Amino acid sequence: MKKTTSVAKQNIHGAYSNYDNLQDLINPHIESFDHFIEVGLEKMLILIKPVKIIDPFTKKKLVIYFGDHKLYPPQKERGKSTSLFKTLLPFECRQAKISYSGKLTVDVCFVYDDGCLIKETFNFGSIPIMLKSKICHLRGADSQKLVSCKEEPTEMGGYFIVGGLERLIRFLIMPKRNYAMGVERDSFRARQDGYTDKAVTIRCVREDQSAVTNKLYYLQSGSARLGFWVKGREFLLPVGIVLKALIDTNDHEIYMNLTCCYRDKYQKGKGTLGTQLVGERVKIILDEIQNLSLFTRAQCVQHIGEYFQPVMDGVENETHYFVGEAVLQEYILVHLDRFHDKFNLLIFMLQKLFAFVDHMAAQDNTDALQNHEVLQPGHLITIYLKEKLQEWLMKGRRLVQDELNTNREKFCFTNIIEVKKILDKNPSRSIGTAIESMLKTGRLVTQSGLDLQQRGGMTVHAERLNFLRFISHFRSVHRGAAFAGHRSTSVRKLLPEAWGFLCPVHTPDGEPCGLLNHMASTCRITSYFDSKGNVKSFPDIRKSILNVLIGIGMTPSLPKLVRAGPPEVLFVLLDGCVVGSISSTIVEKGVAHIRKLKLSVNSGIPDDLEVGYVPLSTGGAYPGLYLFTSPSRFVRPVRSLSHAGKNQDIELIGPFEQVYMEIRCADGGEGGRTESNPATHEEIHPTGMLSVVANLTPYSDHNQSPRNMYQCQMAKQTVGFSSQALKFRADQKLYHLQTPQTPIVRTAAYTKYNIDEFPTGTNAIVAVLAYTGYDMEDAMILNKSSVERGMCHTSIYQSETIDLEDQGGSSSNATKTFFRDNADKSLRSTIDADGLPYVGKTIYPDEPYYSTYDTVTRAKYKGLLKGSEPVTVDYVAVDANNPNKPTQKVNIRFRRPRNPVIGDKFSSRHGQKGVCSQLWPDIDMPFSGTSGLRPDLIINPHAFPSRMTIGMLLESIAAKGGSLTGKFVDATPFASSVRKENGESSSESDSLVDELGHLLKSRGFNYHGLEVLYSGVLGTELASLRAYGWIAIPFVQVRNTGPVDPTTKQPMKGRKRGGGIRFGEMERDSLLAHGAAYLLHDRLHTCSDFHVADVCSLCGSILTTSFIQPQKKAERAISKLPSGSIPKKVTCHACKTSKGMETVAMPYVFRYLAAELAAMNVKMSLRLSSGAES
Amino acid sequence: MEGGVATNQRFPKIKIREIKDDYLKFELRETDASMANALRRVMIAEVPTIAIDLVEIEVNSSVLNDEFISHRLGLIPLTSDRAMGMRFSRDCDACDGDGQCEHCSVEFHLDVRCDQDQTLDVTSADLMSTDPSVLPVDVAAKSNSSAYDASENRGIIIVKLRRGQELRLRAIARKGIGKDHAKWSPAATVTFMYEPEIRINEEMMESLSIDEKRSWIESSPTKVFDIDPNTQQVVVTDPEAYTYDEEVIKKAEAMGKPGLVEIEAKEDSFIFTVESTGAIKASKLVVNAIEVLKQKLDAVRLSDDTVEADDQFGELGVHMRGG
Repeated sequence: MKKTTSVAKQNIHGAYSNYDNLQDLINPHIESFDHFIEVGLEKMLILIKPVKIIDPFTKKKLVIYFGDHKLYPPQKERGKSTSLFKTLLPFECRQAKISYSGKLTVDVCFVYDDGCLIKETFNFGSIPIMLKSKICHLRGADSQKLVSCKEEPTEMGGYFIVGGLERLIRFLIMPKRNYAMGVERDSFRARQDGYTDKAVTIRCVREDQSAVTNKLYYLQSGSARLGFWVKGREFLLPVGIVLKALIDTNDHEIYMNLTCCYRDKYQKGKGTLGTQLVGERVKIILDEIQNLSLFTRAQCVQHIGEYFQPVMDGVENETHYFVGEAVLQEYILVHLDRFHDKFNLLIFMLQKLFAFVDHMAAQDNTDALQNHEVLQPGHLITIYLKEKLQEWLMKGRRLVQDELNTNREKFCFTNIIEVKKILDKNPSRSIGTAIESMLKTGRLVTQSGLDLQQRGGMTVHAERLNFLRFISHFRSVHRGAAFAGHRSTSVRKLLPEAWGFLCPVHTPDGEPCGLLNHMASTCRITSYFDSKGNVKSFPDIRKSILNVLIGIGMTPSLPKLVRAGPPEVLFVLLDGCVVGSISSTIVEKGVAHIRKLKLSVNSGIPDDLEVGYVPLSTGGAYPGLYLFTSPSRFVRPVRSLSHAGKNQDIELIGPFEQVYMEIRCADGGEGGRTESNPATHEEIHPTGMLSVVANLTPYSDHNQSPRNMYQCQMAKQTVGFSSQALKFRADQKLYHLQTPQTPIVRTAAYTKYNIDEFPTGTNAIVAVLAYTGYDMEDAMILNKSSVERGMCHTSIYQSETIDLEDQGGSSSNATKTFFRDNADKSLRSTIDADGLPYVGKTIYPDEPYYSTYDTVTRAKYKGLLKGSEPVTVDYVAVDANNPNKPTQKVNIRFRRPRNPVIGDKFSSRHGQKGVCSQLWPDIDMPFSGTSGLRPDLIINPHAFPSRMTIGMLLESIAAKGGSLTGKFVDATPFASSVRKENGESSSESDSLVDELGHLLKSRGFNYHGLEVLYSGVLGTELASLRAYGWIAIPFVQVRNTGPVDPTTKQPMKGRKRGGGIRFGEMERDSLLAHGAAYLLHDRLHTCSDFHVADVCSLCGSILTTSFIQPQKKAERAISKLPSGSIPKKVTCHACKTSKGMETVAMPYVFRYLAAELAAMNVKMSLRLSSGAES
Repeated sequence: MEGGVATNQRFPKIKIREIKDDYLKFELRETDASMANALRRVMIAEVPTIAIDLVEIEVNSSVLNDEFISHRLGLIPLTSDRAMGMRFSRDCDACDGDGQCEHCSVEFHLDVRCDQDQTLDVTSADLMSTDPSVLPVDVAAKSNSSAYDASENRGIIIVKLRRGQELRLRAIARKGIGKDHAKWSPAATVTFMYEPEIRINEEMMESLSIDEKRSWIESSPTKVFDIDPNTQQVVVTDPEAYTYDEEVIKKAEAMGKPGLVEIEAKEDSFIFTVESTGAIKASKLVVNAIEVLKQKLDAVRLSDDTVEADDQFGELGVHMRGG
């Protein structure tokens, strides 16, 4: 019998020096910030409109605009007087709790009356710098250098350090840019009278990433309105006016353009989009402008300008025509510069709208990934900074203008220094602070809204609970906070369009389920940089694409021709610009040609070009050839079959084109495809659809799917190696597993992503049997001796920053210093002569660990250790930034052992978690007769049948085999659906079970992994299965009384705030069923928000009662009565008497409800059965 | 009961099969599971040894924290031949429970500093004992086999130091038992198996073809049976290799021959395997375990409040009161 076990590649020397795979996971973040540094900042400054200031008297004109900029790498100032700068490293920021930011300076240009140009450099404060971005000091550093910079050897960057905290901007789903979508929404009807629920929307993005969404609404009359938002208001323009204002055209041309998609001869064949209604509608549109008596382009532009003059900023003194053009330029289809392109796209959108209204084309699903892209950190910062700079300029203009109007005698307008002085009233440094506070809070403070759906929650803390949690933050994609409130579940659905881009497994259960997704491990985001790291030149790329398109037979849309429409020809859109039309007979060949060029290196066609060919259909998606070169798109690699055999056969595809492509699985089969419709592409490996964390679950293809989802959550909670640079960190809390191990059974991703650098658990010998009863209901028994030998020993590192300047309140001269009072003997044992604790000293609760002395008030203070557990001082760092001043700021890091105790949670890698119920003595554990082995832990066999985690059984058997052979076992999922190297797909006979079973048998063990165990107590035989597993620890929570919510006085939820576990409705029901009414009363009332309220039985109010301060204190003290028996003096404010006072026990929320109702002018009165009324 | 001479009174016998310093295999006969298991449990958890229990760290600039190093030191086995005669620190009169006198403790010192560019391994060999009889177990030194290269094996590694790092500490080793902490357990593993009694139904076996016989033999993962090359008969080669997995019985049933073989565990015969950590010799471990068991029985006492029972217990009562 010839059987071989598949064994993961092992690196005996243990030195994984290549962390490129990990770096690739984070790169979309870094590339977007690089874009901000290299391109975005410059483009954005150019696109900020200059402001004009006119002296109302002298009519002198001053134009102010932004010129060159410079963003400095993070530096620290060496004393205030010297101009010496030293590089500031990230670890210093983490410890000193400051921001890792670089100074931004911009030349502001002043031009008087078209005279000479004066440049003044303004300091716009410090902009937080993303780690490992182009101007970060860690850029390009290898592991060795990173370690010398006191970072992790694997440091990947991608986040910011703000106030010592690591924060990142989370990816946010956005509508796909520059692509017109047909949308049906009830809310459209509510715009104005006569609106229908249908519209075509397009999110247009300028070169500097700022966006404007245009909506083309369909009216019941058959006409359409173009809507866009200006300063929080939506403006709706008749589409005819816009069409005419864009180019010099006539009614006939518009008519011909719009009706080109309708011919009588087509009837209702395949691909027909137009109906004869289109002609009628065009007439209505044209009649609308006729009625306004607008005939020429100039009239239309002027009409628009007149309408918008009051709305736009800084155009008070301009002509209507100028304003009108500005509106067209700045608010309508802003991704296109030329009006002619805008006109063509508007025509296209109208045609799509009409086809959509007539049900000739289906609506686009706004929830499908097909129509999505992502908002990247660098781009968000670019647009936010643009708005802030714009605001600064506008405010500066207003200040100067005000000065001119009110204080013109003193103010010399022509003196640039005085103008600058006025501008400085609006401090330019605040811009940096604004960006910093945006990162700190995640909130955008914006007037325009930046065309985003949400203003809060843009950033999250990059927690380092363990490494998997840390990298998951960078791979997560949020659907948007606005959708969290939606009642419908449609946004949360996992749609087939997301295949290969978003992981179907890795999404949390509960509230954010389906909204917070994670990118599949092979998914990338397109960027501004090509594979060599050079900035892409989009005009060049578009030009070469255009040449290729013309080469394959496209008719360009310029020069103007009266065109035919679908189904004869298909429109070709390149990044949302109608570049031409192509005959539907040759389009497929053309698409194949472009795909071929995509793969070749020097064709000028970028490798991440998205070729969205939507074929003709009946009532399907609106056809066309949509090409996208834009950044921020999802892409993933697949193998191109047309290029099979050559080295360059990996093609990057996007979610838009994927829907219309034939991609087969890599199992060697055709997936039910016929000869006439063959697959053109092939998946590289089935695991490519899973996220990094989901990819780490061994044999996940054998598990019930929800268990894999639980596992993704649990893997991110386990205690592990959170950081290798632990010594240089000052995080509030870090967990550190003392004795981690590398799993015997592992997936390919484990090796690929070097998870060994950050292990999260340990191998354990697991017995699956019902032994003592202590393993019921997901409880598990740990071997006491195993724990004593170090299994799952953990340290908790807690850092505390003591800043005496902060404590002083006012920032006046530091008066406090660290100081040990030698007279106080109690301090000597724990505190050194400098007032700080001894490193390595164990400090018990309520012992002092630092002491201070106020030189002014002469007050002495000692900091006592809070909490109930002793800690060890791990590290003390002092801020020696200013050598002249006594130390003001220290970081003290404590270390606390946290070893397994009863109640701790442990889990396998298959969503199976259990609570440790006993630390069972080694001698009482069952033992194997042959080897004498005792298990490290015992789990109950009942954990398996209903949960169906077959992968866990396989893992334990594989690990047993692996530990016998001394080799790691490869447990990559879907291994059976991958073609073997010799081209054969694996047959059923060499199944995994067989492979593992024979391995065990050849080593003298039972085929099924069973082993006979003997009771450790009695020495008699037990029958059981024993296996090896892989476990890890998170922590527990229980409470009886504890912190309460201040408004409702109910217990708080969540472990973070010291809350307990909710006694929910189901639990309540079960107690009701048992008739345990008193217990229920105790749990839900007495232990919750028990409250005794005074009720006035005369008016029935509980809100108008109030205490009268008892004055006879002395008398009370003598009487020595228990406090409860002293009658409280309570009166009712409404009745002005205390006659009808009664006390009633009630939940506190009831009183809260009464108060809330009172705020709405609703009075709630109680009728007491035994009150004064009786 | 016929005959009247049959009695269940038995006196256990031990037959040693294999003996090495750290390994012992013996048969325990004429007793039952309770006795065998008691011996096993005592060997694992109640035979005293010496292990480091208190660590005073003076300097530790290594990468591992103090607790971690202390824990590792505790787990190093120390030669504990003295342990049986030593006092538990808690019972020690000489030091009033301080636990640092020569009667109940052994002091160790460790002082290592790395002054070279290569990483320096701090091992159990660097632990300096104040008592020459209590030393870290050094398997390499004891073993004569060439498998251990003395120059490579410097004992159990504690921590690795790089240039400039230093570890200086004082450690107190004390007597203890495995029940209190696993570090005091002298046994790496102690196990026993019931001796199997295998009866092949020869008649039925003969009805099988040679291939059937072979496949039946192969159904057992361990080599219990074999075919005699001369007679072509199935013979039991190694009954003790049988793991009670019943694979052969299941196989026989699957072949339509139930009752082909009968295997029973002998209720009164056990085969023990003892492996020692090196703290004491495996043979000593067994002897000490029996001694501990004896002491336990010896220490059975009447509790103080059973005064009226004196008469009934008579002489025994005096013993039980510690007479």
